[in-house]
Amino acid sequence: MREPTRWRTQTTQLAFAIGQRAQFRKQSFAARVLKAAGLGALLMTASITPALAADTVAEAPKPAIMSDLASHSLLLDVASAGDRLVAVGSRGHIVYSDDQGASWTQAQSPVRQLLTAVYFADASHGWAVGHDGVILHSSDAGASWELQYRDPALDEAADPDGPGLLERPLMDVWFRDANTGFAFGAYGTYLRTDDAGKTWEDLSFDIDNPDGFHYNAVTAVQGTGLFLVGEMGTMYRSPDFGDSWETLQSSPYDGTWFGTAGTGLEGQVVVWGLRGNMYRSADFGDSWEQVELHTPNNGPLEATLLGGNLSADGSLSVVGAGGVVVTSTDHGKTFNVAVRPDRVALATAKRLPDGELVLVGQQGVVKAAANGLPENQ
Amino acid sequence: MSFDQSNAPFMERLVFNNRLAVVIIFSLVSLFLGYQALQVRPDTSFAKMIPLEHPYIVNMLEHQNDLANLGNSIRIAVAIEDGDIFSTEYMETLKQINDEVFFLPGVDRSNLRSLWTPNVRWTEVTEYGFDGGPVTNHPSYTNEEDLEELRANVLKSGEIGRLVANNFKSSIIEVPLQEFYPNPDNQSELLRLDYKQFSHLLEEKIRDRFQSENPNIKIHIVGFAKKVGDLIDGLIGVVGFFGIAFVITFVLLYMFTWCIRSTVSVLVTTVIAVIWQLGLINLVGFGLDPYSMLVPFLIFAIGISHGVQKINGIALQSGGADNALVAARLTFRQLFLPGMIAILADAVGFITLLVIKIDVIHELAIGASIGVAVIVFTNLIMLPVTISYLGISKKAVERSKRDAVREHPFWRFLSNVAHPNVAPWMVIVALVAGTTCFVYQKNNIKVGDLDAGAPELRPDSRYNKDNDFIIQNYTTSSDILVVMVATPPEKCSAYETMEAIDQLQWKMQNLEGVQSAVSLVTVAKQVIMGSNEGNLKWQGLSRNQDVLNNAISRAPSGMFNAACSLAPVMVFLDDHKADTLKRATAAVEEFAAEYNTDDMEFKLAAGNAGIEAATNEIISSSELLILVLVYIWVGVMCMITFRSLPATICIVLPLILTSVLGNALMAFLGIGMKVATLPVIALGVGIGVDYGIYIYSRLESFLRQGMPLQEAYYETLRSTGKAVLFTGLCLAIGVATWIFSAIKFQADMGLMLTFMFLVNMIGAMLLLPALARFLINPEKVRKSSGSKLSH
Repeated sequence: MREPTRWRTQTTQLAFAIGQRAQFRKQSFAARVLKAAGLGALLMTASITPALAADTVAEAPKPAIMSDLASHSLLLDVASAGDRLVAVGSRGHIVYSDDQGASWTQAQSPVRQLLTAVYFADASHGWAVGHDGVILHSSDAGASWELQYRDPALDEAADPDGPGLLERPLMDVWFRDANTGFAFGAYGTYLRTDDAGKTWEDLSFDIDNPDGFHYNAVTAVQGTGLFLVGEMGTMYRSPDFGDSWETLQSSPYDGTWFGTAGTGLEGQVVVWGLRGNMYRSADFGDSWEQVELHTPNNGPLEATLLGGNLSADGSLSVVGAGGVVVTSTDHGKTFNVAVRPDRVALATAKRLPDGELVLVGQQGVVKAAANGLPENQ
Repeated sequence: MSFDQSNAPFMERLVFNNRLAVVIIFSLVSLFLGYQALQVRPDTSFAKMIPLEHPYIVNMLEHQNDLANLGNSIRIAVAIEDGDIFSTEYMETLKQINDEVFFLPGVDRSNLRSLWTPNVRWTEVTEYGFDGGPVTNHPSYTNEEDLEELRANVLKSGEIGRLVANNFKSSIIEVPLQEFYPNPDNQSELLRLDYKQFSHLLEEKIRDRFQSENPNIKIHIVGFAKKVGDLIDGLIGVVGFFGIAFVITFVLLYMFTWCIRSTVSVLVTTVIAVIWQLGLINLVGFGLDPYSMLVPFLIFAIGISHGVQKINGIALQSGGADNALVAARLTFRQLFLPGMIAILADAVGFITLLVIKIDVIHELAIGASIGVAVIVFTNLIMLPVTISYLGISKKAVERSKRDAVREHPFWRFLSNVAHPNVAPWMVIVALVAGTTCFVYQKNNIKVGDLDAGAPELRPDSRYNKDNDFIIQNYTTSSDILVVMVATPPEKCSAYETMEAIDQLQWKMQNLEGVQSAVSLVTVAKQVIMGSNEGNLKWQGLSRNQDVLNNAISRAPSGMFNAACSLAPVMVFLDDHKADTLKRATAAVEEFAAEYNTDDMEFKLAAGNAGIEAATNEIISSSELLILVLVYIWVGVMCMITFRSLPATICIVLPLILTSVLGNALMAFLGIGMKVATLPVIALGVGIGVDYGIYIYSRLESFLRQGMPLQEAYYETLRSTGKAVLFTGLCLAIGVATWIFSAIKFQADMGLMLTFMFLVNMIGAMLLLPALARFLINPEKVRKSSGSKLSH
């Protein structure tokens, strides 16, 4: 079995002499190959000196700084709260737009951590999740936010000699209704609330994931159930929309899945991930067929696909590294592939009622034509 | 000898009773200092041009070794006019240039970077982890398939905008340099990089050769070494200006005296003054830098102007004296003291420059002070002695005799400025001009260099055009402010440090005038993301120390030091205007005040923008101080000389008006207040006061004879007006040639000094008598005991 390189730090507490760090920097290509082959962990140096003396592992959360450029730096997800668009991203930034993405206002946010996903259960109640395991809640359509939860490990007493903290960012969030919701994250983190987020329960052991693979994305498949994808080809489904989970062994690919979406038809689901891999299932994941994606030059698409959404009109839009935007209007049977000229990495896309796309990514939010290319082209 | 020596001062007797000894001593000293002058070398030490005592610079020098890799490299952009870089023609030429550069002396070969060096690599994230290789992996690119592969590699390399132009029509060879490098013939010996030679090698072996071999190829070179090379070339060009100033002065001088003997005498003694000055600065241990290069010009101009006063006096005296010796002695007696006072005023004006804590300015101040001191010997003593031997031509004596009695319509007309009906208007015009210009300059004058590119060179110089090319085609700025983040050893990668750096970067990026900010945090975030299969959702700092340590281990050299106790944050600015710099440094200082702890200190500043910010602060704080010191000194000088407050005001007010007009001119021409314009204040005022002293001392002596003001002023103009006019012209010509210097700040200095010298002269001739109408009571002057200069 091929194993992707992951810098799983809990297994790499190897304290090397300090001087080797400089040496490591200049390592040969051969060393990189070795590392790529999975031996990387052995080559890595690690200094386990605690950073600064502190009572707890992490300091108390600090509110995000209001910045002019908040909508122009890394943003990772965008969601609708009624007519409002809300996007989240780096340094705890949350921005919203009341004019379909033409202009953006920064909302007050209680944290400075990278926020990875946002979901609105209705027009006013929404949740955002991110690094440090934070979960934020808004009950005014995204204008203001409160911190509901963060990784309890952060508030434990710091142990200077113990292993470093295992970073467990949350990666996606979904709510069944205004009270019951689920958050998924790295190393198999799975949280549930039944009281609109006032309390979150760690149910990580309820999903069969002994190796602790990352969960990357969750989606609701129309009238069928929840579909969850993650690292190394892992797939899970929940026919009862989150109460129980079933591990799928049918994955057609053992590289990482970064995203999943329904197609608008019952039982139909699309998954995508590394190196332009995309598969489609008509039977809620029992069997898969590959979706062939070709670049405008007619070569196979090799760019990693990261995030995407099914829109109300049934069209699919998926984006990824290198400014790639793939769109489908036939329930994911065929896709049009566009490569934006700026080649800026994109995190996800959302189709607006007028057919245009809102794209978020490395350089913040940008509006695009229906095919994903810049609007003036 | 029939000449009555009984009332001759001691100095006069000492000099003129031992004329031969004086000539011999002067010749011997000239020989010795001439030999010394030949040893003077151009010297463009970087450290001398920056304010070493400013806290920013102190911080920078403290961490100099850790920042070494940030500075000294040049970038050669090889551009193709027709087609793009993915062509056989381009890649072959680039390879040849790359090889040629590789063997240039002083090049740090292991760190050379270009498309052809193996250290330029592409990487991508695959199911199997990182994959990568060198961008060029074929010995040559002759077929479409290989070129297509090259294109793909370049796209994956992340070098677009850095090593490869955004439009794919040029690419850069990055050439790090070693200040000291091993001698190829004797490896144990270290050679110092010769910037001039290196710059010439770049021109001959790279630019000229490859551009002429293939007209489709254009080469652009930027970097500190190239800039210094161009500066040195510009410095040498300035020597040619000396010749031009010399010839023009010769012609004017001859027109003034109509006597070849005195013309040559003045020129020779003045050139001797310059030789002495150069010899003395070599003895003191200074070299010639772009600033002190200007001192010989000043000395030449000041020497000529004093020489002219002497010749004028001797010609006037010759009318009544028996022979040349007597005429020379009488002139010496009459002019030695005012000459000394004028020179003292100059010298102290220069000395006030010592308050600017920048070495080049110190050397300029000391060099110029030595130079004017030398003029006392050469032009006040040597020149009259020479003339006493040579005499003045009959024609010149005849002319001055005629001049002494005939009516001068022009001077008569000009003397009207002292008329009771005209004087108020002169004063009103001056007041209006003064206030208008004061308000204008107050609102418009800027501190710092205002043009894009290298401020030392002209905006349209080849270097700055090359710089423009790179700014336009690459995603880089040439104005970099470096913030040094100092921590205890091994703490540069601590989460708290990295998090704070991230906040600083973000704060700076949101600042107007900042393009971007880069540090090890930038790299760490990318590496952490890359290690997580390129997932954007991991593009954040980790609280896990091991993850951070691993992440920064992939950072390029220079992002943190070997001990991990210093990490520079590079802030790329839009420009180096004073406002931009001020805004950026203020933001960093505000951040530092909030975030500095015992374990983490944010220190300003390195990078060219950091140095300029420090320089600007020195300029702002020195400007007022210099003005105050210069004016206090000039005022004191006038008070001592004339023992009269009204006289002092008459002399100083026109100078102040000139200073204000000068500032307004700078604001109008877009010349910023900078290191080069500070000396102008001191030089302009210090030398400008000479006119006032000469004119007022004559005016006073005529008033003492009982003349009414306007008549006294007419007599003043008739006797000394021509000499004053000529002096102003000489000074202006001496410095005006700099306006054509290839070095921008020399040109600015030349322009400003020319303006100051001319306007000071006009002010002294027009405003001084008008002010005297209001301030000077002729009755009182007549009754007063008389000043030091009364004869």
